[in-house]
Amino acid sequence: MRREFNFDGMEAAPRWIAIFLGANLLVHLLVLYVWNAAGQVVSLQGSSGGTSALSVTGMAMLNLWLCLMVLKSFPAGQPLRSTWLLLTVAAAVEGASGVVGQVLGTDWLLNPLTWAGSAGFGWIEQIRLTTLFASGPVHLALLATAMAAVLRILQRYGFWVRPSAADWAVPGIACLFALCRFGEACVASLAGKPGSLENCISLAGLPLLCVLFLEAMLLRQSVLRMGNGLIARVWMALVCGILLTGAGEAVLWVIPHYSQTLPLAISGILIRLLIAAAFALAPACQLAAQHRAFKPDRGISENVGSHSPVLAR
Amino acid sequence: MHPKSAEFIAFCDGEAGAGRGMQKHLAKCEKCRDEVRRIRSEKETLAAGFAAPGAGNAAGLSGVLSAMAAWRRNRSAEAASELRSRLRWQIETYCGAPALRMLDQPELRTEELLGKTGEMLDIFLGPRAGEAVRDEVFRGLDWAALAGETER
Repeated sequence: MRREFNFDGMEAAPRWIAIFLGANLLVHLLVLYVWNAAGQVVSLQGSSGGTSALSVTGMAMLNLWLCLMVLKSFPAGQPLRSTWLLLTVAAAVEGASGVVGQVLGTDWLLNPLTWAGSAGFGWIEQIRLTTLFASGPVHLALLATAMAAVLRILQRYGFWVRPSAADWAVPGIACLFALCRFGEACVASLAGKPGSLENCISLAGLPLLCVLFLEAMLLRQSVLRMGNGLIARVWMALVCGILLTGAGEAVLWVIPHYSQTLPLAISGILIRLLIAAAFALAPACQLAAQHRAFKPDRGISENVGSHSPVLAR
Repeated sequence: MHPKSAEFIAFCDGEAGAGRGMQKHLAKCEKCRDEVRRIRSEKETLAAGFAAPGAGNAAGLSGVLSAMAAWRRNRSAEAASELRSRLRWQIETYCGAPALRMLDQPELRTEELLGKTGEMLDIFLGPRAGEAVRDEVFRGLDWAALAGETER
């Protein structure tokens, strides 16, 4: 039976995110192609100072809005309430750090801190670092706690699987990557080139990323045990978001080592947008599943009778 | 055109208004005469059965009761099977085929499967969405038959 694509309401939220992401990636790739074909005559710049681009911040805000809607459907006392609360706080931290970083963490004309002179520039730098810390280690810590909560619930309902060798291998690779990063920072420090605070913040998030990778692999196994239904998609999107976060960290670290021609700013935006979209897909899929429950496909009971008696429930 | 069964029965019962037209038709139609003979013979058999002494009545009553029980069992089983298939469909839609294999054990009764499914949907979809799924599962089901199934 063919199911028609519906682009109305919350059921279509995952599709709209995918379309927006696809369109955005296409535009960025087209810009890169034109820039390359034109002989790289113009300097390509992303958002200044490592803050998130508008599209990334927008996606984070969308994630927050979707998470808030999901959170409303889990009243106090529900087992998944704490998971969605943590995911909402993580989305809020990500969104707020994006907005504050864009408005107050960059030295642009409309930033009121730039009007205060050199003292203001000190504040701008501090705000930028704070937003980086919030969207880095703090965001990862919140995600790790949320993942631990959902893993406990999946375990309680029999969807727990003992981690296989592959499940250990992936966080092992993440640990190796973290060791490489720490080793590089140590070598640079011994050579008299202390790392920037930005780099230190990034390093602080790496142990959390290793934990998240292990949790993501466990969650993946549990979800595979469940199947590929609408609920399973929610947690698979979260797994994708975490794996993409690690892959993005690795790619952004590797690119400057091996390629001087690829514009890092654009690559960074593309990767961050991909990650933000994966995280936004989780609540979007949850809302789509809930919407499906309220307005089901009338495949099974075409001849609708009266509602069931309350006692029978 | 041959008369309907109800008209034959009315004629055999001697009901007013079922006589003249029927007699004219029976005079011409051998098939309908056979039908009237068959109905009269059945009526006589039934009348003889009811006129028999008490033991026969008891046997007839128990036969009727057992036939009713069998009919009710069949109806209950059909309703339970329908409910189970709806639950299976919902589990597969929201969780997936492996979850269905894990939950839907052959020894599990339908109401136990209903309880487990409801609990899981409440947890992963939220209570309101879970209730909406249960409403969808129960919609249009034969409640009297299902009650018979759960009573047993």
